[in-house]
Amino acid sequence: MQIFPLHPFRPEGDTPALRQQVRDLVVQHEANWPVELRANCWFSFDEEFSKALGKAGLLGMTWPKQYGGHERTLLERYVVLEELLALGAPAGLHWIADRQTGPLLLRYGTESQREKYLPGMARGEIYACIGLSEPGSGSDLASVRTSAKKTNEGWRINGQKVWTSGAHKSHAALTLLRTEEGSERQAGLSQMMIDLDTPGITIRPIIDMTGTHHFNEIWFEDVLLPHDALVGTEGNGWKQVVAELALERSGPERYLSSHMLLVALIDAVGPEPDAPTAQLIGRLTAEMWTLRQMSMSTIAKLAAGEDPVVEAAIVKDLGNAYEQALPRMVQAAVDADLAGKSDLSRLLSWLLLSSPSFSLRGGTPEVLRGIIAKGLGLR
Amino acid sequence: MSDNRTLLTDMAAGLFADLAGKPFDVAWPQVAEAGFSTLLVPEDAGGFGGDWADVLAVLRLAGLNALAAPLAEPVIAHWLLAGAGIAAPEGLISIAAPGQRVPYGRHATAVVHVEGGMLSLYHADACTFDEALSPAGEPWDAVSFTGAAAAWAACDVDLLALGAFARVASASGALEAAFTLAIDHVNTRVQFGRALAKFQAVQQAMAEFSEEAAAVDASAAACAAALDYGHASFEIAAAKLRMGIAVDRAVPIAHRMHGAIGFTIEYALNHLTRRLMGWRSEFGGDAFWAERLGRRVAGLGGHGLWREMSARTDRIVG
Repeated sequence: MQIFPLHPFRPEGDTPALRQQVRDLVVQHEANWPVELRANCWFSFDEEFSKALGKAGLLGMTWPKQYGGHERTLLERYVVLEELLALGAPAGLHWIADRQTGPLLLRYGTESQREKYLPGMARGEIYACIGLSEPGSGSDLASVRTSAKKTNEGWRINGQKVWTSGAHKSHAALTLLRTEEGSERQAGLSQMMIDLDTPGITIRPIIDMTGTHHFNEIWFEDVLLPHDALVGTEGNGWKQVVAELALERSGPERYLSSHMLLVALIDAVGPEPDAPTAQLIGRLTAEMWTLRQMSMSTIAKLAAGEDPVVEAAIVKDLGNAYEQALPRMVQAAVDADLAGKSDLSRLLSWLLLSSPSFSLRGGTPEVLRGIIAKGLGLR
Repeated sequence: MSDNRTLLTDMAAGLFADLAGKPFDVAWPQVAEAGFSTLLVPEDAGGFGGDWADVLAVLRLAGLNALAAPLAEPVIAHWLLAGAGIAAPEGLISIAAPGQRVPYGRHATAVVHVEGGMLSLYHADACTFDEALSPAGEPWDAVSFTGAAAAWAACDVDLLALGAFARVASASGALEAAFTLAIDHVNTRVQFGRALAKFQAVQQAMAEFSEEAAAVDASAAACAAALDYGHASFEIAAAKLRMGIAVDRAVPIAHRMHGAIGFTIEYALNHLTRRLMGWRSEFGGDAFWAERLGRRVAGLGGHGLWREMSARTDRIVG
């Protein structure tokens, strides 16, 4: 069995022109971006830039025009994503809404939910986060306990979510809740779109080891949601979440999070590096080039209607390993002043500290390898 | 993609499976008889008229079956000679890339050498071989050209890179075969009361193995597409290096999964892993390609790397 037959990546339209459109936008905004903002850039925020992308028609690209989308293809969207990441453009504010919340509402949401959220998301003005993990259930999502009780007035929500990235910057959270009292594991779960300004919701920061506020805890105390907060079918939440996670795993953000450090390294050593540094640049390039081929192939399969679960897990696991190793390899090879002011020093310090997070978002290596092993018939 | 791909791969799959485990003197005459050597020679010049994706498909099958005969070498040699308008001699023609040993040199009737923009064809009587064996036990002979070339022509082909591509292509097959052996072994071998495959530690290692095989599969296919486009120097450098990394990571897992049985001469695994270890060094090792690629990228500048990589795939599509 051939494990990874390469699927051709053939986007419609003028791809170089699309790349240029993104590059021009980045040039117009990059003066405001400190280098730390450009590393791991799909986790850093620039509201003005998100809105500019929306205005340029580069958000909600694949969505129907009636909801503010642009009816372009998955592959055209992929080209825009990889450009944003390779150029280190802070794209974190709209990332979740554009990548998964919007598509999930299109697939499972009601007409009024689509009309309420999608046009603003496509303009880069409405941001979303994902309410999955809870205290005591990190990777084991089926153990969530936050409950939604159906009453005459609506749904009553009680419980707590944790590790919610960007909740403090988001307008709404697509949240996994236990809607059937006494249900266990994957059964009895549902998804709801929760406006974060609803009374009874408290968002508290969790400061990460880089000193950044990215994670949050969300507390729900007798929060009353309208009946139509339910997304999709009651009790179908697990299946919907699994489909959502597949959207999460196949993107170029799984190998490019440290790319700006490679850019800085190349610029710092100049056109004629010594042999060991040239070899390091060559090695990182070879891994990145291979991951790009694999990532493009996976999205092309997805666009062709296939379900490349194993391929997506392979790309994410290899990609995370690469983007995590990159800072360590650069540190081992160059005589770096981690308190220095150069781009190389600042990016290296920043990525050494932030890269441990790369493999815990969207499935740890152990979870991914479990998925791969299952796909290979070993479990 | 050549129209005859399925026909070609069906034939290669059948023949190479029959020849698995057979020595050179049995395998080569049948490979030659089947006409694979002219795979890349245009149909109007009497060849098969295939493309590099066909070459990948066939070399992959050769690697999968640990074929003990030259294949990439005559394919590349016949293509170069046809391109130069030089008639190919009868028999096995191998290749001499700069600074490299000649695979199966002692059995060749002629050798094609490309260096400094010049292709030269040497008959065997103009070659002196210092005979040696690869880690897989295949002839790996250092050549000195002690006689005159029989023919020559200007040629801007990077023969070292083509050899490197060939080894990536074969490695993609050999990795799949080693992986399949390991899967079969862990699914059937019972230890501590259950099949090895039921242990999480084994599952995780096998998943890692599959990732490395996947990386070589993908990079080999991307190289073939770039070769068919006409420019593949960047891609081959990256792919050959990535293949070296994959061998480094996957071969130890293959042996670890098999325990002592995988270390025996009778068991099939060694025919695959010995080749993989040899191919990692052949036609430029990790350090060579890393430095060559790294110098090229350094010349492009930090953001130039992305501009170059994206332009190289956009033009293949366009």
